[in-house]
Amino acid sequence: MTPLPEPVLASLCRFLQHCLLRVASLLVPAAQRPDWWREWCGELWHVRQACAPLGSDPLQAESHITSFCLGAFQDAACLRRHGWLNRPRFAPLHGSAPQCLLWLAGLLLLSFLFSILLPGVRAARSFPGAQARPGTILIRDAVANDDSAPTMAFDQVRTWKRDSQRFVDAFAFYRVAAESVVLSSRARGTWQIAQASSNLFAVAGWPLRNILPHHEARGDFPRLVLSERIWLQQFAANPGIVGTVMLVDSRPVRVVGIAPTDAFRLPGNSDAWLLEPDSEISPSGRGYVVAHLTQRGRSEMWGGLVNIASFDSQKLEHDFLGKSFAEQLPAPANIYWFGVFLAFLALPAVASVSLAEYSFSSHQPSWIRRAIRLGFLAAKIVLILLIAYFLSVDLAYWHSSVFSPSGTYVQFVSSFAVCLFAMRWALLDQRQRCPVCLRRVTHPAQVGLVSRTFLSWNGTELICAGGHTLLHIPGLPTSWFSTPRWLYLDTTWDFLFAGSVR
Amino acid sequence: MALEPKLSHTAALVLQAVDAGFIYGFSIMAMTGLPSGTVYPAMRRLEQAELIRSHWERQSIADTEQRPPRKYYKLTAAGRTTLETSRKRYPLLARLIPAEEARTR
Repeated sequence: MTPLPEPVLASLCRFLQHCLLRVASLLVPAAQRPDWWREWCGELWHVRQACAPLGSDPLQAESHITSFCLGAFQDAACLRRHGWLNRPRFAPLHGSAPQCLLWLAGLLLLSFLFSILLPGVRAARSFPGAQARPGTILIRDAVANDDSAPTMAFDQVRTWKRDSQRFVDAFAFYRVAAESVVLSSRARGTWQIAQASSNLFAVAGWPLRNILPHHEARGDFPRLVLSERIWLQQFAANPGIVGTVMLVDSRPVRVVGIAPTDAFRLPGNSDAWLLEPDSEISPSGRGYVVAHLTQRGRSEMWGGLVNIASFDSQKLEHDFLGKSFAEQLPAPANIYWFGVFLAFLALPAVASVSLAEYSFSSHQPSWIRRAIRLGFLAAKIVLILLIAYFLSVDLAYWHSSVFSPSGTYVQFVSSFAVCLFAMRWALLDQRQRCPVCLRRVTHPAQVGLVSRTFLSWNGTELICAGGHTLLHIPGLPTSWFSTPRWLYLDTTWDFLFAGSVR
Repeated sequence: MALEPKLSHTAALVLQAVDAGFIYGFSIMAMTGLPSGTVYPAMRRLEQAELIRSHWERQSIADTEQRPPRKYYKLTAAGRTTLETSRKRYPLLARLIPAEEARTR
């Protein structure tokens, strides 16, 4: 094999050494790369000159020069090691956009976990909203102002049931009274028992839960349906209670099922419903009437209300008002959205909603930067809305039932307050984020004197830890400096931010 | 009493070489016999500790001599004090690299 001519060998070696230094320079931190590259190139020339006297043996000379170039890798490794050991701990995350989003995600996870773990909250969250059978109404006397007061006589229901109806196809009646209940030999109490038509839940369109099969129900005792609240509080949600016999007002009754959550909508605050044939229901006293409208009856409904004129057994005319169950009470999700809506309306009163009030003194950021900035704000808002939902549900229903007045009130207030103040924080936070890297600007410094406002600006100066920008907030807005300004830092500031990633 | 930085033998050797007049990286390598992967990082650390100071040669000088510019190093006052302390710790330093060595080269 013919050895390479010397000039070719020298050129090849130079090329290889140049490549080695270039690769080594790529291993050096970017900020220091040009300086090291320059120094290595300068030194390489001198190394080559120094090795020239070894010209009698060009291979040995090139070997010396190459070993110098390989030393550059050790320089780079040493720099990297030194930089790693002296890196500011968690500096890239401190005050950064990912850190902010992580905090919010953590809060969201926490509130979500609470909503899973608390049984009351779980029930409220799984509540699917208005589930009443379409056309189901609660009828009351038109003269009465209060839906929760019993105003209907059972005689009226009997009259309606006897006559052929065009607008209503089913009626159910119930009347609530406090009665003593014996649960076992040792447990007894007084419950609000509703004596109800046996078709009450069928008319309302709410199927019972944990229902006792027909062959086990046996017609020996009247049938009792427990409210969900009593089932949770008195029987710890034990499904085994269904089928047992207990004494209501010294009368044995059999528990045949648990009322659905929607039964909260039935006024009277009943603890249990005693389902009996109409012939067993006492005609004395006032109660509530649940009815189901026909298609024609539904066409008469306006805003969830329908007026009913009727004659009683003495041929006297009475006016009644039917109110749709679907319109009666808002579900947790509806309350939450109402709170969010009000919070958005109130937001301009507590914070400036404009994001464009900053003047960029040196240049405008690129549209990609602006899009990322807006995306970050949108992500914060989405997380805040989710946190507000779960937090409001947690606060409202951890000890209250769905549709209880206190639960509804707490959920509304908490969703409104959390949304309002969290959105205010999101906007203020957004204004103090560097437009380049989205870090929060830090290290506030007072600049200037108030007494010299007309000579030079005074106010607060904040700096981006990444070394991109300064934020100048005027202490006393003037005609020439009224809004905060971003000042972009050029490369001459780099030495102050040696460890930062620009 | 102010704390004085304690140098490793290698760093003290580099400092002694700079003081002796070996004012650029390759000459220090040649004098001390240390490899490039040791000398240059050591000089950077000494520079960060403000024991030596560096400056780039003027481009015009390099252009005249048709070579790339090089970086020169010089001892600071703090570096001189530290070197004095190091000489007490490593008495052979001055004998390994006497000040006359560079001037005679």
